[in-house]
Amino acid sequence: MIRADIVKLYKTVHTWTGITCGFALFIAFYAGALTMFKEPISRWASPPAVGVAAVSLDDAPRLLELVAAAHPEAREEGIKLHLRGNENEPARVTWEEDAPHQEGQAHEHVHWWATLKPDGTLLAKQEEPSELADFINHIHMRVGIPEPWGSYFMGVVSLLYGVALISGVIVLLPSLIKDLFALRVGKNLKRMWLDAHNVVGVAALPFHIAMAITSTALSFSGPLWSVQESVIFGGKQEILNDLDNEPFRAPKPIGEAGVMMPPAQLLQKLKVQASDFEPRFMIFRNIGDKAASVRVPGAERGYVGDTHLGGVMLSAVTGELLKDSTRPSRQDPDRRASETFYGLHAGQYEGATITWAYFFLGLSGAWLFYGGNLLWIETRRKNARKGGEVEQSRSTRLLGSATVGVCLGCVAGISLTIVAAKWLHGRVADLNHWHELVYYAVFLGSVAWAFAWGAARSAVQLLWLCCAATLAIPLTTLLAALFPALDMWAHGSAATIGVDAVAFIGALCFAWMAIATTRRIRNGPADSIWSIQKAGDRAAPREPMALPGGGSVTLTVPIRLNR
Amino acid sequence: MPGDIRPDWWSKASAGAILGFGLALSLVGLYAYLGPGGINAPGGRYSLMRYLEAFVWIAVVGFCFLFRSGRAAWAWLGAANLLAFAALFACRFYFFA
Repeated sequence: MIRADIVKLYKTVHTWTGITCGFALFIAFYAGALTMFKEPISRWASPPAVGVAAVSLDDAPRLLELVAAAHPEAREEGIKLHLRGNENEPARVTWEEDAPHQEGQAHEHVHWWATLKPDGTLLAKQEEPSELADFINHIHMRVGIPEPWGSYFMGVVSLLYGVALISGVIVLLPSLIKDLFALRVGKNLKRMWLDAHNVVGVAALPFHIAMAITSTALSFSGPLWSVQESVIFGGKQEILNDLDNEPFRAPKPIGEAGVMMPPAQLLQKLKVQASDFEPRFMIFRNIGDKAASVRVPGAERGYVGDTHLGGVMLSAVTGELLKDSTRPSRQDPDRRASETFYGLHAGQYEGATITWAYFFLGLSGAWLFYGGNLLWIETRRKNARKGGEVEQSRSTRLLGSATVGVCLGCVAGISLTIVAAKWLHGRVADLNHWHELVYYAVFLGSVAWAFAWGAARSAVQLLWLCCAATLAIPLTTLLAALFPALDMWAHGSAATIGVDAVAFIGALCFAWMAIATTRRIRNGPADSIWSIQKAGDRAAPREPMALPGGGSVTLTVPIRLNR
Repeated sequence: MPGDIRPDWWSKASAGAILGFGLALSLVGLYAYLGPGGINAPGGRYSLMRYLEAFVWIAVVGFCFLFRSGRAAWAWLGAANLLAFAALFACRFYFFA
């Protein structure tokens, strides 16, 4: 049995780590849940293009040759041949080139795609692809703070999140059996929320432990690397790292002309030599040279981290395997362990089942941090009340406003910046920059709004904003399909319609939360921050009113504002 | 029956954060030298080490409040650091001499 003083100590640890990290963790988990569907979101946001189908795989050799002849930088750095025909693949081949820059300076890259005209000549165009999905991933990784501070900040947050997990379990242990499976739905709503917080936290504990460890390691990746090098390895790490990158390096061109094997035949050769390997795309280097090579990133099912880093390299002339030590079945034990950690973080195993499971676990995590903040606020209120009703303390009101503004601002900001992908395309010069502007404007505006109006009023208003912004995602697609004159697009693939469908269901959830919150701020106890009544205006009921639909429903909803 | 634990928030937390990081680095460093394959193990190792370091660091910060006092936390964790770093630098000297 754990001593009472230890439990009390760790209750304080849990409260303070939770309160200080709750906001950042909400953003990281909400954006992280969406990042599970990075590919569908990227496809949804990509404008109609020439597409992969415009050039058959049999005609690809000619296209590759023409690109290599006209773009020597691409020939050397790599020309990407797409295989899947997704909307975010603008044409059969794409590549990146350095933007104009001074020698040795950091620089941007520009993106090109190329296809064959009907007369068989080359059509190449520079066009920037949508970086919407990457931007959502950046919000996930560093909550919108610029590098390198965003990573450092999230490293500290992740560490404290791990401490919050340890302390939370210590606090819960003595009453684990009694409390865990007892979801006391009823009049004591704070008790019910605490029960729900416990059951969701413990049920997802393995997920959270994996997240705390990996996010701390990934956020502090750079500094940890440098410290390892200077303290542990004393210069050796760089040499080993260089050795480690060897499987990714293409052989140097030898200057003799060679006959390229067509991609379709290369894929057949690959199938024979690595039968379980699923290629995603091919990157050709030094086309036309006898030492030309093709690197094929892809997945090897049955491993955790099945799609990360893994790939093989073939000779583009003979189709023989040149390098094959990075896919899961060929990784050394330490790399396998490290990739397992990464795969557990990114949900890269077992395909769609785990993708959806991580999506809901991510949303449940966001709910956990949100609910934790609210529990603290409610506890403060009850402690302060001591029988009679009181004015809320300043800190409680500010924390309530911040919780509402930050969390709902993040939700609304992400939804609106997704919508902007279609409305602003072709209407602004730098759409990827506008994605950031839209997100930050909505996020900061929501935070300001929440402080100006207080938690109760702004919660309802911002929930309706979240609902409207999220509903705008499927509505935009609908409008695009109905009115071609709007110059937008509505893709027909299951993945992109899935984005619209999930957004529609999400919007319904936000509407339901807004309605429930309206009820609460009108009828709940007046001394709660979730009330628009002045304390003492009228005799408040002893406990908040029960929710429509019953309390158990709240467990499945990512964020709730009305307690 | 041991006496009550003193909270000593700042001294314990700083011991956990600073000495926990030192312990993470030195223990995982020992794994780099003494683990299977030794210091010449393939490059997957230093990638794995970051995760192991995070694990040790979180565990030390998480459990450091169990020390009787801030002073005890600094003393015990400091001693553990001294031992682990001494072993680590002995390994470095031995393998790179």
